[in-house]
Amino acid sequence: MTLASDHDTAPQVGDLAPKNSLPSGETLIRGLIWAVVLFLCLTPFLLVFAISFGHKVEGASWVWGFSLDNYKRVFVGAEWPDNVTFLYLQKLWYSLYYAVIAAILAVITAFPFTYFMTGLSRRAQAAWLVFILSSLSLSEVFIVMGWDVLLSNRSGLPMLFKVSGATQWLKDVGWFDTLRDWGLANPRNVKFKTSVFATVLTMAYLVWPYAVILLYPPLSRLDRSTVEAAQTMGAGPWTVMRTVILPSVRLPLVGSMLLLFVFLLGVYVAVTVFAEPAKQTMAVSVYEAVRGNTLNAPFGSAQAMILLVTAAVFLGLGQWLSRRNA
Amino acid sequence: MMARTLKTLFMALSALMLALPIMVVSGAALNSGRTMFFPPREPTLARFKEFFITETVWVTALTNSMIVAFASAALAVLIAWPLAYALWSRGTKASQVLAGLGSMPFALPPIVFGVGLGFLWAFLGVLGSLWAGVVSHAALFLALPLVTISIGLQSIDRAHLDAAATMGATPAVTFRTVILPQTIPYTLSGFFFALVLSFNEFIVMFFVSASSYSTVTLQIFNSLRNGYTPTMAVAAITFIVVSLAVFGAIARFGDLPRLMGAEPAKK
Repeated sequence: MTLASDHDTAPQVGDLAPKNSLPSGETLIRGLIWAVVLFLCLTPFLLVFAISFGHKVEGASWVWGFSLDNYKRVFVGAEWPDNVTFLYLQKLWYSLYYAVIAAILAVITAFPFTYFMTGLSRRAQAAWLVFILSSLSLSEVFIVMGWDVLLSNRSGLPMLFKVSGATQWLKDVGWFDTLRDWGLANPRNVKFKTSVFATVLTMAYLVWPYAVILLYPPLSRLDRSTVEAAQTMGAGPWTVMRTVILPSVRLPLVGSMLLLFVFLLGVYVAVTVFAEPAKQTMAVSVYEAVRGNTLNAPFGSAQAMILLVTAAVFLGLGQWLSRRNA
Repeated sequence: MMARTLKTLFMALSALMLALPIMVVSGAALNSGRTMFFPPREPTLARFKEFFITETVWVTALTNSMIVAFASAALAVLIAWPLAYALWSRGTKASQVLAGLGSMPFALPPIVFGVGLGFLWAFLGVLGSLWAGVVSHAALFLALPLVTISIGLQSIDRAHLDAAATMGATPAVTFRTVILPQTIPYTLSGFFFALVLSFNEFIVMFFVSASSYSTVTLQIFNSLRNGYTPTMAVAAITFIVVSLAVFGAIARFGDLPRLMGAEPAKK
Protein backbone atom coordinates (compact mmCIF):
# COMPACT_ATOMS: atom_id res chain seq x y z
CA MET A 1 0.00 0.00 0.00
CA THR A 2 2.71 2.41 1.01
CA LEU A 3 4.92 1.56 -1.93
CA ALA A 4 2.10 2.06 -4.40
CA SER A 5 1.46 5.52 -3.04
CA ASP A 6 5.08 6.41 -3.39
CA HIS A 7 4.82 6.15 -7.14
CA ASP A 8 1.97 8.64 -7.09
CA THR A 9 4.16 11.20 -5.39
CA ALA A 10 6.90 11.17 -7.99
CA PRO A 11 9.04 14.32 -7.69
CA GLN A 12 7.78 17.24 -9.69
CA VAL A 13 9.37 20.22 -11.31
CA GLY A 14 10.36 22.74 -8.68
CA ASP A 15 10.73 20.02 -6.10
CA LEU A 16 12.50 21.37 -3.03
CA ALA A 17 13.59 18.05 -1.59
CA PRO A 18 17.28 17.21 -1.93
CA LYS A 19 17.72 15.80 -5.43
CA ASN A 20 21.15 14.36 -4.92
CA SER A 21 20.14 12.14 -2.00
CA LEU A 22 19.66 8.44 -2.60
CA PRO A 23 16.15 7.83 -3.91
CA SER A 24 15.89 4.66 -1.86
CA GLY A 25 16.44 6.60 1.37
CA GLU A 26 13.78 9.13 0.45
CA THR A 27 11.34 6.40 -0.49
CA LEU A 28 12.06 4.69 2.79
CA ILE A 29 11.28 7.83 4.78
CA ARG A 30 8.11 8.47 2.83
CA GLY A 31 7.00 4.88 3.28
CA LEU A 32 7.69 5.15 6.99
CA ILE A 33 5.58 8.31 7.33
CA TRP A 34 2.70 6.69 5.47
CA ALA A 35 2.95 3.62 7.66
CA VAL A 36 3.00 5.67 10.87
CA VAL A 37 0.03 7.83 9.87
CA LEU A 38 -2.05 4.93 8.58
CA PHE A 39 -1.27 2.89 11.66
CA LEU A 40 -2.03 5.63 14.19
CA CYS A 41 -4.82 7.58 12.55
CA LEU A 42 -6.70 4.99 10.54
CA THR A 43 -6.41 1.57 12.22
CA PRO A 44 -8.24 2.62 15.41
CA PHE A 45 -11.30 3.58 13.34
CA LEU A 46 -11.03 0.42 11.23
CA LEU A 47 -10.87 -1.70 14.38
CA VAL A 48 -14.01 -0.08 15.78
CA PHE A 49 -15.68 -0.79 12.43
CA ALA A 50 -14.55 -4.43 12.35
CA ILE A 51 -15.43 -5.17 15.96
CA SER A 52 -18.91 -3.69 15.58
CA PHE A 53 -19.86 -6.84 13.63
CA GLY A 54 -18.69 -9.20 16.36
CA HIS A 55 -20.64 -10.39 19.36
CA LYS A 56 -20.27 -10.68 23.09
CA VAL A 57 -19.48 -14.02 24.77
CA GLU A 58 -19.85 -15.00 28.42
CA GLY A 59 -17.90 -12.87 30.81
CA ALA A 60 -16.59 -9.59 29.54
CA SER A 61 -15.11 -10.94 26.33
CA TRP A 62 -16.17 -10.86 22.70
CA VAL A 63 -15.39 -12.67 19.44
CA TRP A 64 -15.08 -11.63 15.83
CA GLY A 65 -18.04 -12.26 13.64
CA PHE A 66 -20.10 -10.91 10.86
CA SER A 67 -23.60 -10.10 11.91
CA LEU A 68 -25.61 -6.93 11.87
CA ASP A 69 -27.22 -7.75 15.24
CA ASN A 70 -25.52 -4.86 17.02
CA TYR A 71 -26.81 -2.38 14.48
CA LYS A 72 -30.25 -3.95 14.58
CA ARG A 73 -30.21 -3.51 18.36
CA VAL A 74 -29.37 0.17 18.02
CA PHE A 75 -32.14 0.88 15.55
CA VAL A 76 -35.02 -1.34 16.58
CA GLY A 77 -33.90 -3.22 19.71
CA ALA A 78 -32.51 -6.73 20.23
CA GLU A 79 -35.88 -8.49 20.21
CA TRP A 80 -37.03 -7.23 16.88
CA PRO A 81 -39.34 -8.18 15.14
CA ASP A 82 -41.26 -9.44 18.22
CA ASN A 83 -40.60 -6.32 20.18
CA VAL A 84 -39.51 -2.89 19.05
CA THR A 85 -37.64 -0.40 21.19
CA PHE A 86 -36.11 2.87 20.16
CA LEU A 87 -34.06 3.27 23.34
CA TYR A 88 -30.75 3.76 21.52
CA LEU A 89 -32.18 5.90 18.78
CA GLN A 90 -33.51 8.07 21.57
CA LYS A 91 -29.96 8.39 22.93
CA LEU A 92 -28.78 9.41 19.48
CA TRP A 93 -31.63 11.90 19.36
CA TYR A 94 -30.47 13.44 22.65
CA SER A 95 -26.89 13.61 21.32
CA LEU A 96 -28.15 15.62 18.35
CA TYR A 97 -30.58 17.68 20.43
CA TYR A 98 -28.05 18.91 23.00
CA ALA A 99 -25.39 19.45 20.36
CA VAL A 100 -27.61 21.50 18.05
CA ILE A 101 -28.87 23.86 20.75
CA ALA A 102 -25.46 24.30 22.38
CA ALA A 103 -23.71 24.90 19.03
CA ILE A 104 -26.23 27.52 17.94
CA LEU A 105 -26.17 29.22 21.34
CA ALA A 106 -22.37 29.35 21.33
CA VAL A 107 -22.09 30.78 17.81
CA ILE A 108 -24.83 33.38 18.33
CA THR A 109 -23.16 34.74 21.47
CA ALA A 110 -19.59 34.37 20.22
CA PHE A 111 -20.30 36.22 16.98
CA PRO A 112 -20.81 39.75 18.39
CA PHE A 113 -17.94 39.19 20.82
CA THR A 114 -15.55 38.20 18.05
CA TYR A 115 -16.72 41.06 15.86
CA PHE A 116 -15.98 43.57 18.63
CA MET A 117 -12.66 41.88 19.41
CA THR A 118 -11.40 42.09 15.83
CA GLY A 119 -12.05 45.84 15.92
CA LEU A 120 -9.49 46.29 18.70
CA SER A 121 -5.77 46.96 18.34
CA ARG A 122 -3.56 44.02 17.50
CA ARG A 123 -2.02 44.01 20.97
CA ALA A 124 -5.43 43.93 22.62
CA GLN A 125 -6.48 41.14 20.25
CA ALA A 126 -3.43 39.10 21.27
CA ALA A 127 -4.28 39.57 24.95
CA TRP A 128 -7.88 38.46 24.40
CA LEU A 129 -6.68 35.47 22.38
CA VAL A 130 -4.45 34.35 25.27
CA PHE A 131 -7.48 34.45 27.55
CA ILE A 132 -9.74 32.67 25.05
CA LEU A 133 -7.17 29.97 24.25
CA SER A 134 -6.53 29.31 27.94
CA SER A 135 -10.18 28.71 28.60
CA LEU A 136 -10.46 26.69 25.39
CA SER A 137 -7.78 24.28 26.50
CA LEU A 138 -9.15 23.96 30.02
CA SER A 139 -10.16 20.36 30.55
CA GLU A 140 -13.78 19.33 30.34
CA VAL A 141 -13.50 17.90 33.85
CA PHE A 142 -12.58 21.29 35.33
CA ILE A 143 -15.35 23.11 33.49
CA VAL A 144 -17.89 20.56 34.62
CA MET A 145 -16.52 20.84 38.15
CA GLY A 146 -16.89 24.63 38.09
CA TRP A 147 -20.44 24.59 36.77
CA ASP A 148 -21.29 21.78 39.13
CA VAL A 149 -20.29 23.93 42.10
CA LEU A 150 -22.18 26.89 40.60
CA LEU A 151 -25.36 24.95 39.87
CA SER A 152 -25.50 22.38 42.66
CA ASN A 153 -28.38 22.65 45.08
CA ARG A 154 -26.45 23.33 48.26
CA SER A 155 -24.15 26.03 46.95
CA GLY A 156 -23.91 28.36 44.01
CA LEU A 157 -26.87 29.83 42.20
CA PRO A 158 -29.78 28.02 43.92
CA MET A 159 -28.33 29.15 47.27
CA LEU A 160 -27.98 32.68 45.91
CA PHE A 161 -31.60 32.61 44.74
CA LYS A 162 -32.75 31.58 48.18
CA VAL A 163 -30.62 33.98 50.23
CA SER A 164 -31.32 36.97 48.01
CA GLY A 165 -35.05 36.33 48.20
CA ALA A 166 -35.34 35.68 44.48
CA THR A 167 -36.96 32.31 45.16
CA GLN A 168 -39.63 33.94 47.34
CA TRP A 169 -40.16 36.60 44.71
CA LEU A 170 -40.59 33.96 41.98
CA LYS A 171 -43.14 32.21 44.18
CA ASP A 172 -44.99 35.48 44.81
CA VAL A 173 -45.33 36.36 41.14
CA GLY A 174 -46.25 32.79 40.28
CA TRP A 175 -43.38 32.02 37.93
CA PHE A 176 -42.10 29.38 40.27
CA ASP A 177 -44.71 26.90 39.07
CA THR A 178 -43.63 27.49 35.49
CA LEU A 179 -40.06 26.67 36.50
CA ARG A 180 -41.31 23.50 38.18
CA ASP A 181 -43.07 22.53 34.98
CA TRP A 182 -39.80 22.96 33.16
CA GLY A 183 -38.02 20.79 35.74
CA LEU A 184 -35.97 23.71 36.99
CA ALA A 185 -37.34 23.77 40.54
CA ASN A 186 -38.19 21.41 43.39
CA PRO A 187 -40.92 22.32 45.92
CA ARG A 188 -38.54 24.42 48.02
CA ASN A 189 -36.15 26.15 45.66
CA VAL A 190 -34.93 26.41 42.10
CA LYS A 191 -32.73 23.54 40.98
CA PHE A 192 -30.52 23.25 37.91
CA LYS A 193 -29.12 19.78 38.44
CA THR A 194 -30.05 17.63 36.68
CA SER A 195 -31.65 19.42 33.77
CA VAL A 196 -31.47 19.98 30.04
CA PHE A 197 -30.72 23.62 30.86
CA ALA A 198 -27.56 22.78 32.82
CA THR A 199 -26.41 20.29 30.18
CA VAL A 200 -26.85 22.68 27.28
CA LEU A 201 -25.38 25.61 29.21
CA THR A 202 -22.22 23.68 30.06
CA MET A 203 -21.90 22.34 26.53
CA ALA A 204 -22.30 25.80 25.02
CA TYR A 205 -19.72 27.10 27.47
CA LEU A 206 -17.40 24.26 26.49
CA VAL A 207 -17.35 25.26 22.81
CA TRP A 208 -17.72 29.02 23.18
CA PRO A 209 -13.95 29.67 22.94
CA TYR A 210 -13.82 27.37 19.89
CA ALA A 211 -16.56 29.46 18.32
CA VAL A 212 -14.49 32.61 18.84
CA ILE A 213 -11.39 30.97 17.36
CA LEU A 214 -13.36 29.71 14.34
CA LEU A 215 -15.03 33.05 13.68
CA TYR A 216 -11.84 35.03 14.24
CA PRO A 217 -10.19 34.54 10.80
CA PRO A 218 -13.21 35.56 8.67
CA LEU A 219 -14.13 38.47 10.92
CA SER A 220 -10.58 39.81 11.17
CA ARG A 221 -10.27 39.70 7.38
CA LEU A 222 -13.57 41.50 6.96
CA ASP A 223 -13.14 44.66 4.97
CA ARG A 224 -13.85 47.37 7.54
CA SER A 225 -13.92 50.09 4.87
CA THR A 226 -17.22 48.80 3.47
CA VAL A 227 -18.65 48.99 7.00
CA GLU A 228 -17.43 52.58 7.31
CA ALA A 229 -18.79 53.40 3.87
CA ALA A 230 -22.20 52.10 4.83
CA GLN A 231 -22.08 54.12 8.03
CA THR A 232 -21.11 57.29 6.21
CA MET A 233 -24.05 56.80 3.93
CA GLY A 234 -26.24 56.87 6.99
CA ALA A 235 -26.89 53.17 7.66
CA GLY A 236 -27.66 52.40 11.30
CA PRO A 237 -25.76 49.67 13.18
CA TRP A 238 -28.50 47.09 12.56
CA THR A 239 -28.70 47.87 8.87
CA VAL A 240 -24.91 47.57 8.58
CA MET A 241 -25.02 44.24 10.40
CA ARG A 242 -27.83 42.91 8.23
CA THR A 243 -26.74 44.15 4.83
CA VAL A 244 -22.92 44.27 5.00
CA ILE A 245 -21.47 42.07 7.73
CA LEU A 246 -23.83 39.10 7.95
CA PRO A 247 -23.93 38.33 4.20
CA SER A 248 -20.14 38.24 4.02
CA VAL A 249 -19.72 35.88 6.99
CA ARG A 250 -22.81 33.73 6.49
CA LEU A 251 -20.75 30.78 5.36
CA PRO A 252 -18.22 30.80 8.24
CA LEU A 253 -21.13 31.12 10.67
CA VAL A 254 -22.83 28.01 9.35
CA GLY A 255 -19.48 26.22 9.04
CA SER A 256 -18.58 26.97 12.67
CA MET A 257 -21.94 25.74 13.88
CA LEU A 258 -21.44 22.47 12.03
CA LEU A 259 -17.93 21.96 13.44
CA LEU A 260 -19.02 22.73 17.00
CA PHE A 261 -22.00 20.45 16.57
CA VAL A 262 -19.74 17.57 15.54
CA PHE A 263 -17.43 18.29 18.45
CA LEU A 264 -20.36 18.27 20.89
CA LEU A 265 -21.63 14.88 19.67
CA GLY A 266 -18.81 13.24 21.59
CA VAL A 267 -19.11 15.15 24.86
CA TYR A 268 -19.10 12.76 27.75
CA VAL A 269 -18.35 14.30 31.15
CA ALA A 270 -20.85 17.16 30.97
CA VAL A 271 -23.67 14.83 29.96
CA THR A 272 -23.01 12.24 32.68
CA VAL A 273 -22.98 14.93 35.35
CA PHE A 274 -25.77 17.24 34.20
CA ALA A 275 -28.26 15.21 32.16
CA GLU A 276 -31.03 13.16 33.72
CA PRO A 277 -30.49 9.38 33.52
CA ALA A 278 -33.32 9.02 31.00
CA LYS A 279 -31.84 11.73 28.79
CA GLN A 280 -28.27 10.54 28.37
CA THR A 281 -26.54 10.53 25.01
CA MET A 282 -24.98 7.97 22.73
CA ALA A 283 -21.46 8.91 23.82
CA VAL A 284 -22.37 7.90 27.37
CA SER A 285 -23.87 4.70 26.06
CA VAL A 286 -20.67 3.91 24.14
CA TYR A 287 -18.72 4.37 27.33
CA GLU A 288 -21.12 2.13 29.29
CA ALA A 289 -20.75 -0.64 26.73
CA VAL A 290 -16.98 -0.50 26.33
CA ARG A 291 -15.76 0.33 29.82
CA GLY A 292 -18.81 0.64 32.06
CA ASN A 293 -21.34 -1.76 33.49
CA THR A 294 -22.61 -3.65 30.50
CA LEU A 295 -19.21 -4.56 28.98
CA ASN A 296 -20.27 -5.37 25.46
CA ALA A 297 -17.47 -4.04 23.25
CA PRO A 298 -19.02 -4.99 19.88
CA PHE A 299 -22.29 -3.25 20.77
CA GLY A 300 -20.34 -0.20 21.97
CA SER A 301 -18.41 -0.22 18.70
CA ALA A 302 -21.62 -0.31 16.68
CA GLN A 303 -22.88 2.75 18.54
CA ALA A 304 -19.50 4.45 18.10
CA MET A 305 -19.72 3.78 14.36
CA ILE A 306 -23.16 5.37 14.19
CA LEU A 307 -21.84 8.38 16.08
CA LEU A 308 -18.89 8.51 13.68
CA VAL A 309 -21.07 8.31 10.59
CA THR A 310 -23.32 11.06 11.96
CA ALA A 311 -20.26 13.24 12.58
CA ALA A 312 -18.82 12.49 9.14
CA VAL A 313 -22.10 13.31 7.41
CA PHE A 314 -22.22 16.75 9.02
CA LEU A 315 -18.51 17.42 8.36
CA GLY A 316 -19.09 16.44 4.74
CA LEU A 317 -22.08 18.74 4.59
CA GLY A 318 -19.90 21.60 5.80
CA GLN A 319 -17.27 20.82 3.14
CA TRP A 320 -19.92 20.67 0.47
CA LEU A 321 -21.43 23.99 1.56
CA SER A 322 -18.09 25.78 1.55
CA ARG A 323 -17.12 24.33 -1.82
CA ARG A 324 -20.43 25.21 -3.41
CA ASN A 325 -20.17 28.79 -2.20
CA ALA A 326 -16.48 29.19 -2.87
CA MET B 1 -20.92 56.76 22.48
CA MET B 2 -23.85 54.64 23.57
CA ALA B 3 -22.87 51.88 21.15
CA ARG B 4 -19.33 51.97 22.48
CA THR B 5 -20.48 51.50 26.07
CA LEU B 6 -22.71 48.61 25.05
CA LYS B 7 -19.84 47.04 23.19
CA THR B 8 -17.50 47.22 26.16
CA LEU B 9 -20.24 45.97 28.43
CA PHE B 10 -20.93 42.97 26.22
CA MET B 11 -17.24 42.04 26.06
CA ALA B 12 -16.84 42.43 29.81
CA LEU B 13 -19.91 40.30 30.41
CA SER B 14 -18.61 37.58 28.09
CA ALA B 15 -15.26 37.61 29.87
CA LEU B 16 -16.99 37.38 33.24
CA MET B 17 -19.13 34.48 32.09
CA LEU B 18 -16.06 32.74 30.73
CA ALA B 19 -14.10 33.26 33.93
CA LEU B 20 -16.92 32.44 36.35
CA PRO B 21 -16.54 28.66 36.73
CA ILE B 22 -12.76 29.03 36.72
CA MET B 23 -12.91 31.61 39.50
CA VAL B 24 -15.27 29.47 41.54
CA VAL B 25 -13.02 26.43 41.26
CA SER B 26 -9.90 28.48 42.04
CA GLY B 27 -11.52 30.11 45.03
CA ALA B 28 -12.49 26.73 46.37
CA ALA B 29 -8.82 25.73 46.48
CA LEU B 30 -8.32 28.00 49.46
CA ASN B 31 -10.76 26.10 51.69
CA SER B 32 -9.20 24.64 54.80
CA GLY B 33 -11.84 21.94 55.23
CA ARG B 34 -12.46 18.88 53.09
CA THR B 35 -15.49 20.33 51.34
CA MET B 36 -15.65 22.77 48.47
CA PHE B 37 -17.26 25.95 49.60
CA PHE B 38 -17.55 29.12 47.69
CA PRO B 39 -16.66 31.65 48.96
CA PRO B 40 -13.89 29.68 50.74
CA ARG B 41 -14.00 29.23 54.51
CA GLU B 42 -10.82 29.80 56.53
CA PRO B 43 -8.56 30.36 53.50
CA THR B 44 -5.31 28.42 53.58
CA LEU B 45 -2.62 27.33 51.16
CA ALA B 46 -2.30 23.85 52.66
CA ARG B 47 -4.02 22.28 49.63
CA PHE B 48 -1.20 23.45 47.37
CA LYS B 49 1.33 21.59 49.51
CA GLU B 50 -0.83 18.48 49.33
CA PHE B 51 -1.17 18.61 45.58
CA PHE B 52 2.47 19.23 44.73
CA ILE B 53 4.34 17.50 47.55
CA THR B 54 2.63 15.33 50.13
CA GLU B 55 -0.20 13.40 48.47
CA THR B 56 1.42 10.72 46.32
CA VAL B 57 -1.74 10.12 44.27
CA TRP B 58 -1.67 13.66 42.95
CA VAL B 59 2.11 13.87 42.59
CA THR B 60 2.14 10.67 40.51
CA ALA B 61 -0.78 11.87 38.42
CA LEU B 62 0.91 15.20 37.78
CA THR B 63 4.16 13.49 36.78
CA ASN B 64 2.27 11.23 34.37
CA SER B 65 0.44 14.20 32.88
CA MET B 66 3.72 16.02 32.31
CA ILE B 67 5.44 13.01 30.73
CA VAL B 68 2.52 12.39 28.39
CA ALA B 69 2.12 16.06 27.48
CA PHE B 70 5.79 16.76 26.69
CA ALA B 71 6.54 13.45 24.97
CA SER B 72 3.35 13.38 22.90
CA ALA B 73 3.73 17.01 21.80
CA ALA B 74 7.32 16.34 20.72
CA LEU B 75 6.26 13.21 18.84
CA ALA B 76 3.37 15.03 17.18
CA VAL B 77 5.75 17.75 15.92
CA LEU B 78 8.15 15.11 14.66
CA ILE B 79 5.42 13.38 12.62
CA ALA B 80 3.79 16.64 11.53
CA TRP B 81 6.97 18.17 10.05
CA PRO B 82 7.42 15.80 7.10
CA LEU B 83 3.65 15.88 6.46
CA ALA B 84 3.53 19.67 6.39
CA TYR B 85 6.73 19.85 4.36
CA ALA B 86 5.48 17.42 1.72
CA LEU B 87 2.20 19.28 1.54
CA TRP B 88 3.99 22.60 1.02
CA SER B 89 6.81 21.54 -1.31
CA ARG B 90 4.90 19.05 -3.45
CA GLY B 91 1.22 19.68 -2.82
CA THR B 92 0.37 16.43 -4.58
CA LYS B 93 -2.90 14.58 -4.11
CA ALA B 94 -1.07 11.94 -2.07
CA SER B 95 0.35 14.43 0.40
CA GLN B 96 -3.08 16.03 0.77
CA VAL B 97 -4.61 12.65 1.52
CA LEU B 98 -1.87 11.98 4.06
CA ALA B 99 -2.42 15.32 5.80
CA GLY B 100 -6.16 14.67 5.80
CA LEU B 101 -5.65 11.29 7.42
CA GLY B 102 -3.39 12.87 10.00
CA SER B 103 -6.06 15.42 10.94
CA MET B 104 -8.86 12.88 11.15
CA PRO B 105 -8.50 11.91 14.83
CA PHE B 106 -8.78 15.55 15.86
CA ALA B 107 -11.80 16.27 13.67
CA LEU B 108 -13.95 13.28 14.62
CA PRO B 109 -15.53 12.62 18.03
CA PRO B 110 -12.63 11.72 20.34
CA ILE B 111 -14.63 9.05 22.13
CA VAL B 112 -14.64 6.93 18.95
CA PHE B 113 -10.89 7.37 18.46
CA GLY B 114 -10.36 6.53 22.14
CA VAL B 115 -12.37 3.30 21.87
CA GLY B 116 -10.43 2.35 18.72
CA LEU B 117 -7.06 3.04 20.28
CA GLY B 118 -8.12 0.98 23.29
CA PHE B 119 -8.70 -2.00 20.95
CA LEU B 120 -5.45 -1.37 19.06
CA TRP B 121 -3.26 -1.31 22.16
CA ALA B 122 -5.09 -4.31 23.61
CA PHE B 123 -4.28 -6.31 20.48
CA LEU B 124 -0.63 -5.36 20.71
CA GLY B 125 -0.62 -6.22 24.41
CA VAL B 126 0.49 -2.78 25.53
CA LEU B 127 -2.83 -1.40 26.76
CA GLY B 128 -2.23 0.59 29.91
CA SER B 129 1.44 1.35 29.34
CA LEU B 130 2.36 5.00 29.65
CA TRP B 131 4.07 5.20 26.27
CA ALA B 132 0.94 3.88 24.55
CA GLY B 133 -0.74 6.92 26.08
CA VAL B 134 2.02 9.14 24.72
CA VAL B 135 1.61 7.76 21.19
CA SER B 136 -2.19 8.05 21.43
CA HIS B 137 -2.04 11.72 22.29
CA ALA B 138 0.55 12.35 19.58
CA ALA B 139 -1.89 10.91 17.03
CA LEU B 140 -4.85 12.81 18.46
CA PHE B 141 -3.11 16.20 18.40
CA LEU B 142 -1.05 15.70 15.24
CA ALA B 143 -3.40 18.12 13.46
CA LEU B 144 -2.26 21.09 15.59
CA PRO B 145 1.46 21.24 14.69
CA LEU B 146 0.46 20.22 11.16
CA VAL B 147 -1.62 23.39 10.87
CA THR B 148 0.83 25.77 12.56
CA ILE B 149 3.85 24.46 10.61
CA SER B 150 1.87 24.72 7.38
CA ILE B 151 1.05 28.36 8.17
CA GLY B 152 4.75 28.92 8.89
CA LEU B 153 5.87 27.35 5.62
CA GLN B 154 3.32 29.35 3.66
CA SER B 155 4.59 32.59 5.19
CA ILE B 156 8.10 32.03 3.79
CA ASP B 157 8.80 34.47 1.02
CA ARG B 158 9.43 32.49 -2.18
CA ALA B 159 11.89 35.20 -3.23
CA HIS B 160 14.22 34.10 -0.40
CA LEU B 161 14.19 30.56 -1.76
CA ASP B 162 14.91 31.78 -5.28
CA ALA B 163 17.71 33.98 -4.00
CA ALA B 164 19.27 31.08 -2.12
CA ALA B 165 19.03 28.87 -5.19
CA THR B 166 20.55 31.55 -7.44
CA MET B 167 23.48 31.92 -5.09
CA GLY B 168 24.15 28.22 -5.39
CA ALA B 169 22.77 26.89 -2.15
CA THR B 170 21.91 23.21 -2.25
CA PRO B 171 18.38 22.29 -1.14
CA ALA B 172 19.84 21.01 2.13
CA VAL B 173 21.56 24.33 2.81
CA THR B 174 18.42 26.28 1.87
CA PHE B 175 16.44 24.13 4.25
CA ARG B 176 18.86 24.78 7.10
CA THR B 177 19.45 28.49 6.53
CA VAL B 178 16.13 29.75 5.15
CA ILE B 179 13.26 27.37 5.80
CA LEU B 180 14.09 26.10 9.27
CA PRO B 181 14.82 29.45 11.00
CA GLN B 182 11.63 31.04 9.64
CA THR B 183 9.42 28.18 10.75
CA ILE B 184 10.81 27.65 14.25
CA PRO B 185 8.27 29.96 15.97
CA TYR B 186 5.42 28.14 14.23
CA THR B 187 6.86 24.75 15.12
CA LEU B 188 7.12 25.81 18.76
CA SER B 189 3.55 27.12 18.74
CA GLY B 190 2.34 23.80 17.38
CA PHE B 191 4.32 22.01 20.06
CA PHE B 192 2.78 24.10 22.82
CA PHE B 193 -0.77 23.83 21.47
CA ALA B 194 -0.41 20.04 21.49
CA LEU B 195 1.21 20.17 24.93
CA VAL B 196 -1.55 22.17 26.58
CA LEU B 197 -4.39 20.22 24.98
CA SER B 198 -2.75 16.91 25.89
CA PHE B 199 -2.39 18.12 29.46
CA ASN B 200 -6.13 18.74 29.60
CA GLU B 201 -7.39 15.83 27.53
CA PHE B 202 -9.65 13.32 29.22
CA ILE B 203 -11.65 10.85 27.18
CA VAL B 204 -8.96 9.30 24.95
CA MET B 205 -6.62 8.96 27.91
CA PHE B 206 -9.43 7.31 29.81
CA PHE B 207 -9.73 4.52 27.25
CA VAL B 208 -6.02 3.95 26.64
CA SER B 209 -4.91 4.07 30.28
CA ALA B 210 -7.29 1.22 31.16
CA SER B 211 -7.10 2.31 34.80
CA SER B 212 -3.51 1.15 35.14
CA TYR B 213 -2.19 4.68 35.65
CA SER B 214 -3.81 8.02 35.98
CA THR B 215 -3.16 11.53 34.83
CA VAL B 216 -4.49 14.60 36.64
CA THR B 217 -7.68 14.81 34.57
CA LEU B 218 -8.34 11.07 35.04
CA GLN B 219 -7.70 11.37 38.76
CA ILE B 220 -10.19 14.21 38.99
CA PHE B 221 -12.81 12.28 37.08
CA ASN B 222 -12.30 9.31 39.39
CA SER B 223 -12.85 11.55 42.38
CA LEU B 224 -16.02 13.05 40.88
CA ARG B 225 -18.17 10.38 42.48
CA ASN B 226 -16.73 10.81 45.96
CA GLY B 227 -17.41 14.52 45.81
CA TYR B 228 -14.94 17.27 45.22
CA THR B 229 -12.06 18.05 47.48
CA PRO B 230 -10.29 21.40 47.47
CA THR B 231 -7.10 19.64 46.36
CA MET B 232 -8.72 19.09 42.96
CA ALA B 233 -9.20 22.82 42.69
CA VAL B 234 -5.44 23.31 43.07
CA ALA B 235 -5.05 21.13 39.99
CA ALA B 236 -7.43 23.41 38.13
CA ILE B 237 -5.42 26.48 39.13
CA THR B 238 -2.19 24.79 38.04
CA PHE B 239 -3.69 23.99 34.66
CA ILE B 240 -5.04 27.45 34.00
CA VAL B 241 -1.72 29.03 35.04
CA VAL B 242 0.20 26.72 32.71
CA SER B 243 -2.15 27.56 29.83
CA LEU B 244 -1.93 31.30 30.45
CA ALA B 245 1.87 31.12 30.64
CA VAL B 246 2.17 29.06 27.44
CA PHE B 247 -0.24 31.12 25.35
CA GLY B 248 1.15 34.32 26.83
CA ALA B 249 4.61 33.23 25.69
CA ILE B 250 3.31 32.40 22.21
CA ALA B 251 1.72 35.86 22.03
CA ARG B 252 4.91 37.50 23.32
CA PHE B 253 7.36 35.76 20.99
CA GLY B 254 5.15 34.94 18.04
CA ASP B 255 2.33 36.53 16.12
CA LEU B 256 -0.71 35.05 17.83
CA PRO B 257 -3.35 36.89 15.76
CA ARG B 258 -1.63 35.67 12.58
CA LEU B 259 -1.48 32.10 13.90
CA MET B 260 -5.20 32.28 14.60
CA GLY B 261 -5.86 33.36 11.05
CA ALA B 262 -5.74 37.16 10.93
CA GLU B 263 -4.05 38.96 8.04
CA PRO B 264 -0.27 39.35 8.47
CA ALA B 265 0.54 42.40 10.59
CA LYS B 266 1.15 45.60 8.61
CA LYS B 267 4.44 47.09 9.60
